[in-house]
Amino acid sequence: MENILLDIFFALLLFTVIVNLIRLWKPIKHGDFISSMLIIMAVITFIVMLVVRTSMGGRIPFANAYEFTLLFAGGVLILAILVRRDLVSPLFDLSVALLTILLLSVASSFSSEIRPLMPALQSGWLYAHVATAVIAYGSFALAACLGIIYLGRAQETDLSLPEVDERIYKLVVLGFTFLTIVIITGAVWAEEVWGSWWTWDPKETWSLVTWLVYAAYLHTRHSYDWKGNKSAWMVVIGFVIVMFTLFGVSVLLPGLHSYV
Amino acid sequence: MMINKWLKQLTQMLASMQTAIYLLLIVGVVSALGTFIPQGQTPTFYLQHYGRTTSMIINGLGLSNLYHVWWFQLLIILLCLSILVCAYRRLRWGKKISGLASLFMHLAIVFILIGALWSLGYSHSSFIEIARGQTIALNNYGFEEGQLKLNDFKIDYYPDFQPRQYTSDLSLINYHGKNIHQSISVNHPLKTGSLKIYQSTWGWAIQLTNLTGTTETIISLKDKDLFLLDEAQQVKVQAVFLPDFKDDKTGIQSKTPLPDHPHVWLTLLQQDKVVDMAIIPVGQEVQLGSYSLRFDTFYPYSGLQIKQDSGVYMVFAGFIILLAGLGIRYWFAFWGKKGAN
Ligand code: HEM
Repeated sequence: MENILLDIFFALLLFTVIVNLIRLWKPIKHGDFISSMLIIMAVITFIVMLVVRTSMGGRIPFANAYEFTLLFAGGVLILAILVRRDLVSPLFDLSVALLTILLLSVASSFSSEIRPLMPALQSGWLYAHVATAVIAYGSFALAACLGIIYLGRAQETDLSLPEVDERIYKLVVLGFTFLTIVIITGAVWAEEVWGSWWTWDPKETWSLVTWLVYAAYLHTRHSYDWKGNKSAWMVVIGFVIVMFTLFGVSVLLPGLHSYV
Repeated sequence: MMINKWLKQLTQMLASMQTAIYLLLIVGVVSALGTFIPQGQTPTFYLQHYGRTTSMIINGLGLSNLYHVWWFQLLIILLCLSILVCAYRRLRWGKKISGLASLFMHLAIVFILIGALWSLGYSHSSFIEIARGQTIALNNYGFEEGQLKLNDFKIDYYPDFQPRQYTSDLSLINYHGKNIHQSISVNHPLKTGSLKIYQSTWGWAIQLTNLTGTTETIISLKDKDLFLLDEAQQVKVQAVFLPDFKDDKTGIQSKTPLPDHPHVWLTLLQQDKVVDMAIIPVGQEVQLGSYSLRFDTFYPYSGLQIKQDSGVYMVFAGFIILLAGLGIRYWFAFWGKKGAN
C-alpha cells in the first residue's frame, strides 16, 4: 500500500518535471494550472501515505532517517504551494519537483522498516524537534529554489527580481526562526536524555554552522544592504550546507545522532 | 594613555558589523573543521593517522580538543564582546519595539554563552553503577551530601525483545534535608535543585562463591567481566550471564533477554589461555581446574549519570529570551507593516 502510494507520489513529481520542462521550452495553455494541480495531487498522496504509515506503525512517522526525509520532501511541497500562490514560474515548479525527487531518492536509500521507538526517542521533544526541522529546512530549500531563479534571471516569472529577492528574505527569516527552535528543542531534549545540552556532536555542530551562515545572510542584508546576486548565492550555498548537515554528516561523520 | 588608545581601537573594531560577520563565519568554519578531526585522542593517535607534519599542526594548535582550546574560546569571547558593544550602541538609538526585541535577542546569546561558561567551571558530573538494593554515599563521588539507594530496576521489552524502557526506582536520602523517592527512566530524570540523576545504562551482575581451600570468599562481578583468582599464577575466571539459557547444537546462547532459565557460563583462564569451562544454573557448584565455584545469585545493576549544574538554568533562560526576541522581532517586521511591501 505504502509502496504504491510512493510510486504515485513519484510519478506525479515526474509529470510536474515534464510539464514544466515543456513550459520552459514553449508556453502551454493552462500550464500553470496543470502544474499546480499536479503538485496539489502529490501533496494529497503524501498525506495519505503518512496516514497509512501511522496506522500501520501505531505511531507518527517521525523517528528515523527514512521518515524524516519523507517528511522533508512533503514539507517542501506544502510550503511550495504557499510560496507559489502568486508566483507564476515554470522554473520554480521545476526546481521544487526536482528537489523533491532528489529527496525521495535519498529516502529510498534508507531502510523503510517501521521500528518501535527506542528509549531515547520516547519524548515529546522528538515531535517538536522534527516538525520544526521540516519547516526550517523546507524554508531554506525554497529560498534556494528562488535563489536559483534569481541567479538564472528567469524572465518568465511575473515577479520582478526585487520581489523574488524579498520573498527569499522572508523564507530565510522563517527558516532561521525555526532552525533556532530546532537547535533549542534539540538542546533541551539532549539535557533531558543525556544530561548534556551541547556536546559538539557533528550533527549539532553542523546545525550551528548552518545557523551561523543564515545569521550572516541576515546581518549582511541588514547592515550592508546585500541583496540580489550576492545574497542569492548565500541562500544557495546555505542550502548545500543544510543538505550536508542532514545527509553528509550521517554518512561521513556519525556521532550521537546516529539514528538520523 | 597607550592602553586607552588601544582599548578605544578595539572597541571601535568590535562595534563594526564587518568584524561581527567575520567572527560569525570564522567560528562557523573552525567548528566545521573540528567535525573532521577526531576529538580527544592522544598525540600519538594523530601521528599514526595523519603523518608527521599534519599531526604537528593538529597537536600544536590544539585541534585535538578544538572546542576547548584557548583560542577557540577567545573567538567566542570576542563574538560576545562584539554583540555587547553593538547592543550598547543600539541602546542609544531606536526605542522601537522591534529594535528592543532584537536587542534582547542578542543579549540572550551572550547570556547563553555565559551560562555555558559557568557550567564549564562549576558543574560536576559522575557516572556510577549501582546494584539493586545497594546504597551509596554521594559525597564519595564529589557531591555535597545525601545517599542514593536503588530499590528496584526493571526493563520493559517490546514483543520482539527490543528494549522499550529502563526504569530505576530510587531513593535519595538526606539531600538538603529532603528524602525523595522516585522512579527514573530514559528521558525522565530525577531533578531536585541543581542535581539531576539520569538513567544511562544497565547490566547484569553475578555473585559466585569461591569454595576452594578452607575459607569461602564471595566474588561479585559484572556480566562478561574477568576476576583475578590467583595473582601469582595469573588465573582468572570470566562469567557470562545467560538469562534464558538454551541448550542445543547451534551454540551457547540465551533465547530471550528475560531471566527465565538463568545460567552462568564460567571460563577459567591461565595466562590468558582457556583452561576449563562450564555452564551452571543458580545454586549449583562446579569444579573448574583446581577451583571450586558456586553460582549464588544474579541481579541487575543500573548505570546512572549524576550531575550538579546550575549554569544550565541560565542557558535555558537565554533560550526563552532568544526565542521571544526573535518572534517579536519578525512578527513586527512582517505583520506590523503589512502592505508596505
Ligand atoms: C539542525 C539540525 C538538526 C536536525 C535536522 C536534527 C534532526 C533530528 C531528528 C530528525 C531527530 C529525530 C529522531 C531520530 O534520531 O530518529 C533528532 C534527534 C535528536 N536531536 Fe537533532 N537535529 C538537529 C540538531 C540538533 C541539535 C543542535 C541538538 C542538540 C543540541 C539535537 C539533539 C537531538 C537529540 C537529543 C535527539 C534525540 C535523541 C537521540 O538521537 O538519541 N539535534 N534530531
